[in-house]
Amino acid sequence: MGGEKKITGKKNVILSILSVVLLCVLLFPLFWILMTSLKTEQEIFRIPPTIIPEKLNLASYAAQVETGDFNMFQSFANSFIISIGATLISVILAVPASYGIAKYRFRGRKVMLLGFLVTQMLPVAVLLTPMFILFRGMNLYNTPGAAILADATIGIPFSILILKNYFASIPRDLEEAAYIDGCNRFSAFIRVLIPIAKPGVMVCAIFSFLYAWGDLAYGMTFIIDQQKRPITAGIFNFMGQYGTKWSYLTAFAVVTIIPVALIFIFMQKYIISGMTSGAVKG
Amino acid sequence: MKKTRKRLFAYDNVGILFVLPAFVYMLVFVGYPIVRNIVLSFQDVTVRTLTKPDKPFAGLQNYIDIFQDPVFIRSLLNTLIFTVCCLVFQFIIGFLLALFFNQNFKTSKVVRGLLLIPWMIPITVTALIFKFIFGTDVGILNYALQSLGLIKENIDWLTSTNTAMFALICANVWIGIPFNMILISTGLTTIPTELYESAALDGAGKVQTFFKITLPLLRPTIESVLILGFIYTFKVYDLVYVMTSGGPVNSTHMLSTYSYKLSFELFKYSKGAAVANVLLVILLIVGVFYLRATKEENE
Amino acid sequence: MKKKRILALAMTAALTAGMLAGCGGDSGNGENKESGGGDKEVTIWYYWETEGHQVALDKVITDYNSSQDEYEVTAKYVPFADFKKQLSIGASADELPDIAILDSPDHASYAVMDIFADITDKFDVSNYYEGAVDSCTIDGTLYGVPFGVNCLGLYYNEDMLKEAGCDVPTTWDELKETAQKLTKDNVTGLAFCSLANEEGTFNFMPWVWSTGTDSYTIDSEGGIKALTLAKDLVDSGAMSKECINWTQGDVMNQFISGNVAMMINGPWQIPTMQQEAPDLNWNVALIPKDAEYASCLGGENYAVIKDGNEEGALDFLEYATSQEQVEYLMDAFGYISADKTIAESQFAEDPVMQTFTEELNYAKARGPLAEWPEVSNAISLAFNKVMTGEAQPADAAAEAQATIDGIVGQ
Repeated sequence: MGGEKKITGKKNVILSILSVVLLCVLLFPLFWILMTSLKTEQEIFRIPPTIIPEKLNLASYAAQVETGDFNMFQSFANSFIISIGATLISVILAVPASYGIAKYRFRGRKVMLLGFLVTQMLPVAVLLTPMFILFRGMNLYNTPGAAILADATIGIPFSILILKNYFASIPRDLEEAAYIDGCNRFSAFIRVLIPIAKPGVMVCAIFSFLYAWGDLAYGMTFIIDQQKRPITAGIFNFMGQYGTKWSYLTAFAVVTIIPVALIFIFMQKYIISGMTSGAVKG
Repeated sequence: MKKTRKRLFAYDNVGILFVLPAFVYMLVFVGYPIVRNIVLSFQDVTVRTLTKPDKPFAGLQNYIDIFQDPVFIRSLLNTLIFTVCCLVFQFIIGFLLALFFNQNFKTSKVVRGLLLIPWMIPITVTALIFKFIFGTDVGILNYALQSLGLIKENIDWLTSTNTAMFALICANVWIGIPFNMILISTGLTTIPTELYESAALDGAGKVQTFFKITLPLLRPTIESVLILGFIYTFKVYDLVYVMTSGGPVNSTHMLSTYSYKLSFELFKYSKGAAVANVLLVILLIVGVFYLRATKEENE
Repeated sequence: MKKKRILALAMTAALTAGMLAGCGGDSGNGENKESGGGDKEVTIWYYWETEGHQVALDKVITDYNSSQDEYEVTAKYVPFADFKKQLSIGASADELPDIAILDSPDHASYAVMDIFADITDKFDVSNYYEGAVDSCTIDGTLYGVPFGVNCLGLYYNEDMLKEAGCDVPTTWDELKETAQKLTKDNVTGLAFCSLANEEGTFNFMPWVWSTGTDSYTIDSEGGIKALTLAKDLVDSGAMSKECINWTQGDVMNQFISGNVAMMINGPWQIPTMQQEAPDLNWNVALIPKDAEYASCLGGENYAVIKDGNEEGALDFLEYATSQEQVEYLMDAFGYISADKTIAESQFAEDPVMQTFTEELNYAKARGPLAEWPEVSNAISLAFNKVMTGEAQPADAAAEAQATIDGIVGQ
């Protein structure tokens, strides 16, 4: 942690309390929809609003299991497959690319860098039709592959721009030491540089995953079968179906958030340590 | 020693091998749409010509038309206002939080981790949440403001042309804070501890250390955060589409949503493409500025 | 030197992209047969999100599939908000279903896109309502078959009206007065969907037509009068401004939750209303009139996609439009058959549906015009401006007229 000393005593308590207050303020919207999802439709509209539901109403959750051909668990699995796939592609392609851009001065480097900047700028409306034609040609239409390839286009340029800084901040001495030990450029990259840039790689992986996780347009356009679509498409359908029926909508939102939040909370030890431990010293 | 280093690193074309796979990938999936979109914007493609093999050439007509279209001008301004407001707020708040949690107290890591949750939620769901909070009668915000005595009557946030943009900015800042916080946090870890220690020995105060050490060393991180933030905010789509669909009365249309509407709701494909290209040109200019700004560090 | 390099790179990029474009197109065409489903499969796209509608359609399809061995029909749900986009992209990429069930005012746009098969001599629509057939006809060529029709009517909460001592309004003045009386606490008198899209236009056109004005002359006494009505309702608080964000489903939910005393809505809501609020006392009347009664004709059409499995698609349509199937579907949907003979005997014992059948006589169709989405956009912008207080009725009407003239004058 930037080598900050461990804070103890009174200051520790004050800062801890302050941090929890900040947490409550920033996460209030989530708390609020959780409470709303447990209320009846009448109670939601009551003035003054009740903070904690007066009468626990679980009907909105039950309704989701019962309605339609939408399968929550299947959608989750789909979203996971798509997001993991997109993350793998992003990381595998972006890590070497950012190293190349940070450490080598080859011809056309600037143009490529500008290229990566530009490619992530296109609004989705422009991309849908041409991508659709491509995926159809590749026989990927209506498969997770189409969404994976499309989602990776968000993660790759992002990761390159972030990781470039990481590799640039690694002193050349480290790399040269590897050459003296008999590494060539590629093995030095894999054995020495990637481990050092691990926090950056972790961040890129997380962001690539989340971009893919949150994507709506690609998953919905390139996959037509409801059973194969990601969870975001499910939410979108649900909103079309239940408009302002807030008890249902908030219940759906909660169901969507909880599993991700749980995974994240359990994983966060690794994520945070991965992000902060490998920092370059000196 | 100096010479070997130069041979190893400077103008070393081996580097291109590392970059090429990613570059080709992007060229295929995004380069082609860009080219296609540019062609499309110079044609006149509507429902009547969409499936015809020969599409009429329109020259600059689409661009002339959109610049005379008040909704387009409004979208352009909206996009700029939205982007600048979001960037300013989410950057400042994110930065402060990053500094705060960079202190090593008991709950710092756990709470910082939890604060990432808003960023993990699909934007579609975030939009839903904020639509609920900003609701006129059902929304908690109006109730809170009323009980604090700040307003007398409920504000119709999302159905009034003056306030819908504000609601969108709030939602987007909420999403953007963790993004800024985490990138700056990781940036902070790249600053060597020794620098702070020696600064402390020299008797530098906190403020001084921040401006003399933290900020300059964070520059590359800050540049990336701002530029990425700009790009992702500028092409905002899902949030606006779900929360307001550009309404009420086009007051929250962004270039991206307007382009979508022209293309897929009004079937004016070429005009939609032209709007998207304007967005692209603006971002391209920003991109070039970014490269200029980072020149020093690269050379 | 440097410039040359960049130029070379740019050219490579363009070439690669060009090649890819070529590839995509070629293999796309070659593959059409396969993804189109060969000769046996028939795919349908539809956008009904109501569960009851989906179940009913599925039943007809299952019955059809088990009734013969030649074709196998499958239906895919595409959300309404996504439907137009998916068909547009599908048209550019040559990836379409064999049958699309689409919103009738959009039919003309897709027909001129040249993606629908000409079925003029292949399907007999002589016994169908004229307005419905018109919506799938372009220049005398038939590009579709009406699925079923509906129109809008005035729903009212009987208990609330009784409590306020009001009669059912029949004119605009009575409507305004009644809505005002019914508005109290958190109940608003009237609601109709006023979204800035086709759904909103669908709900607004009855007011315009009621003054005797047509769709393309909004900047007229009648058009301005209709806009003023919307403005008065919102300004007086008798109608919530939130209507500009409410879908027809939302409006119905507000009505059955008791937040709204009267609403404009269609008969397809009835099955859901009976299920969700069985104890609510409500009834239906004709939409109050200005100069004449008016309502907006809605409903969907089947369209057969050109170069798909046309024979299979037509075979299914023959089955699905037979009297037995139509009666089943219309009942499940709360629709009125587009086939006059079936429609007349459809609701012998249902007073509510009889009101809708009566209203159907006053219902007009939107378009048919390939550019109707643009006209609709101009009209919905006008009433949204008025309802949010952005513009006065006269100014909003003039602006809409300028846009419409630009489209229709072409």
